[in-house]
Amino acid sequence: MSQITKTHDPIVAVKNIGKRYGAINALAGVTTEVRAGEVTCVLGDNGAGKSTFIKMLAGAHTPSEGEMLLDGEPVTFSSPRAALDAGIATVYQDLAVVPLMPVWRNFFLGSELTKGAGPFRRLDVKRMKTITYTELDNMGIDLRDVDQPIGTLSGGERQCVAIARAVYFGARVLILDEPTAALGVKQSGVVLRYIARARDRGLGVVFITHNPHHAYPVGDRFLLLNRGTSLGDYAKADITLGELTSLMAGGAELDSLAHELERSMGADSPVVKELEREAEALPEAAREELVPPTAS
Amino acid sequence: MKRIITGVGIVAVAGLLLSACSGTGQETDESTDTASSDLTYAVITHSGPGDAFWDRVKSGAEQAGEDYGVEITYNSDPDPAKQSQLIDNAVAQEVDGIVVSMANPDGVKSSVERAVDAGIPVVTINSGIERSAEFGAITHIGQSETVAGEAVGVELSEAGVTNALCVIQEAGNVGLEERCKAAASTFSGTMANLQVDGTNDAEVKATIKSKLQADATIDGVLTLGGQYAMDAVGAVDESGSAATVATFDLSDDVVSAISDGAILFAVDQQPYVQGFLGITAVHLRATNGNDVGGGQPVFSGPAFVTKANAADVAKYAANGTR
Amino acid sequence: MTTTDIVTIATRPRMERQPIRRLLARPEMGALVAALAVMIFFSVYTSNFMTLAGAGVWLESASTFGIMAVAVALLMIGGEFDLSAGVMTGFTALIVGVLTTNYGLNIWVAVVVSLAVALGVGALNGFIVMRTGLPSFIVTLGTFFVLAGIDLAVTKLITGQVSIQGMAKVPFYDTIQPLFGASIRIGGGVFYVSVLWWFLVTAIATWVLLRARAGNWIFAVGGALNSSRQVGVPIMKTKVGLFMTTAGAAWLVGMISLFRTSTVQANTGVGQEFIYIICAVVGGCLLTGGFGSAIGAALGALIYGMVFQGITFAQWDTNWLRTFLGAMLLLAVLLNHWVRTRAGGGR
Repeated sequence: MSQITKTHDPIVAVKNIGKRYGAINALAGVTTEVRAGEVTCVLGDNGAGKSTFIKMLAGAHTPSEGEMLLDGEPVTFSSPRAALDAGIATVYQDLAVVPLMPVWRNFFLGSELTKGAGPFRRLDVKRMKTITYTELDNMGIDLRDVDQPIGTLSGGERQCVAIARAVYFGARVLILDEPTAALGVKQSGVVLRYIARARDRGLGVVFITHNPHHAYPVGDRFLLLNRGTSLGDYAKADITLGELTSLMAGGAELDSLAHELERSMGADSPVVKELEREAEALPEAAREELVPPTAS
Repeated sequence: MKRIITGVGIVAVAGLLLSACSGTGQETDESTDTASSDLTYAVITHSGPGDAFWDRVKSGAEQAGEDYGVEITYNSDPDPAKQSQLIDNAVAQEVDGIVVSMANPDGVKSSVERAVDAGIPVVTINSGIERSAEFGAITHIGQSETVAGEAVGVELSEAGVTNALCVIQEAGNVGLEERCKAAASTFSGTMANLQVDGTNDAEVKATIKSKLQADATIDGVLTLGGQYAMDAVGAVDESGSAATVATFDLSDDVVSAISDGAILFAVDQQPYVQGFLGITAVHLRATNGNDVGGGQPVFSGPAFVTKANAADVAKYAANGTR
Repeated sequence: MTTTDIVTIATRPRMERQPIRRLLARPEMGALVAALAVMIFFSVYTSNFMTLAGAGVWLESASTFGIMAVAVALLMIGGEFDLSAGVMTGFTALIVGVLTTNYGLNIWVAVVVSLAVALGVGALNGFIVMRTGLPSFIVTLGTFFVLAGIDLAVTKLITGQVSIQGMAKVPFYDTIQPLFGASIRIGGGVFYVSVLWWFLVTAIATWVLLRARAGNWIFAVGGALNSSRQVGVPIMKTKVGLFMTTAGAAWLVGMISLFRTSTVQANTGVGQEFIYIICAVVGGCLLTGGFGSAIGAALGALIYGMVFQGITFAQWDTNWLRTFLGAMLLLAVLLNHWVRTRAGGGR
């Protein structure tokens, strides 16, 4: 699996897709792609439409407009199961683990390995434990005891088990829903390392986050969402961390914040200067769209 | 009643003799218990917990135990399978006699027969009169539900009741069903059964009340247990009905309600007698080889309690012995 | 208390290569210690408890509770309750009683019909719970009352009585009676076949829980329903299956009680459902689901049976029976909890 290298054709590509719930436009005009061995980061604040987006990718919602391509062919997923069968696995925030159950049981939950036949068909405990241990080891986690309840693992380790599980069961695209949201700095670092490792094993990773500092180091593409619309889809070469941060914070908000601070702190204050520089650094396209005429 | 007095007399004499021998007045009671014998009799009934009627049976048995200086254990369970286990338990303990009530004779058949096979004297009380001899019991002490029920039917007719309710407080008790059936057979008017949940008095009262309100022509309520008669009296009161209340079995409250005229009469099967005579019968077999009843049942009732004799009965009811 | 349990279990430090500690952390371990304590207590305190005759009594007492407790434990691990479990034991026996004594149906056929009806009611319980999302506590409470009413009303309506009489005279009664109600005499003790059924049910349930896919699913649906759905555990099948298992066990207990006593009353089993739950909890099941064991539930029933009969053997005043029973059970649960925390916490 680790032999797979980056290909030039995206596994999944979406073109101008959107979702309406009745009269409400949850998301519109989103375009991006996921390639093998690359990490596509989806950034946005709360309510930006991130979860609507991943639900469409994962097959929980069908898009009401636009087009989704799988290996270049148009595709519609009728259910999460269908998306899973196509190799698109989602690791939700709750990780879909059962805290009181041992790690190995969680790893194979729903897809248990068995031996024997008829009424004597039974779990192949030994094999499942061995595979769990090996797969986790491959991801760089050394659990000496796969029999401990998964609830005893740290948040980062649990993320890793969920990722390793998706990889083992043949995922080509891995959607990670805010895997670092509830974690501290150190644990977040651990998770980012596993994301990189999954990428290196040739998976296309969709990494949803609201933290540009987590996204930038591992990301290859950055899709920015704000209030149901796309702010743009950038390759890493086209955007800097600073620009990403500014876009995330929202150019207009930064400008007005700078003005407010100017009044209270004086125009020469270093903080204000910094903010103005950041607003200045925004990419042209985004700035035109974002910044209302009165603000400049 | 006479028997109790006799019993008290016996124990008094025995106590006198013993205390005269030992000379240490303080421990007289204890030495009476242990010195006369180390026999143990088990009383196993089908009562649910907290039942006033069965408490009188228990009191009678315990009094007899005290009088004869024997150990009495009392256990009960309304589920025949569990009652059977209690009988098995007594057999395993190698008790010297078993007094058992058989609300559902088939249910305890195998256990009772096993006790008899093990050579333990068995006396049945209260219910199961028709199967008692078949299972090998010495005798049965109780009242014939049919005889009592028929008497009640006649009494109610004479009181001018035309449309009566028969309130059944326990699902699955054959004896209770028989009482209603027998009462209905001699009753001149119409009688309908009403099933209530006997473990919840408030519920019993509410159910009777609803029934009285729903049908204003009901002019008589027959309950099958003392405490349910009080529920019926409350229900009659609250619903503004003029129905006459009559009941099987007594309680302290029932006796005073009869004195007050709130209850017309109660038919008393004298549970204290069942407990007392039950123990007496096994004791006589165990210690003297007697066959009480000579193969026939011994009737503990019915005794009617009306306004005329309520005052006499009241003082015993207050003791929890009637 | 259950929250504490989860925390205790979930934050249990890694039990690396320590077989003894891992053994102690098994959910049934506390119940085993408590059962031994109760057994030793009554063996020392009374002279007849630890005899063949005595053991026959408390084993039989524990057996029917045990069969139900094991099934209810599976259901509780799966995150559900069944309050209709108690009355179901009477319901199934009444079906057989009415069909044979009143309609003259072949007794073997009646027994099978009764099983089918029980499984149907179980499936209905599960289906309503899963479809409506209502708590099983409420749904099965409804079933409980419906069945209790049917037991009384239909029995009375059809047979004119409130208990089944004359069961032993039904043709072929003797061919089926030994299956559920046989007993053998060993030494001075009478041992019923229900004890074997109890052991068998416990063994099968334990195997399923620990070694079958269904067991994995039971733990999963009780531990985290949403997660189970996401990873593709067949939730509907698992939960409905659990309700059917409980109903099936109730049928077995109904048959045992019917063929043990050759009679059944309209109120049989009412109120027993809580005892099953108590036995399962004493045996280490969490009320919140996702944790527990079948052996533990069987031990819980053993504790209940031993305490119940032990109090009688001790000849304590039975007015206090429930108080003793409650205190004993509380002690058993505390001991159980203590053992489990000890095993888990370590330091």
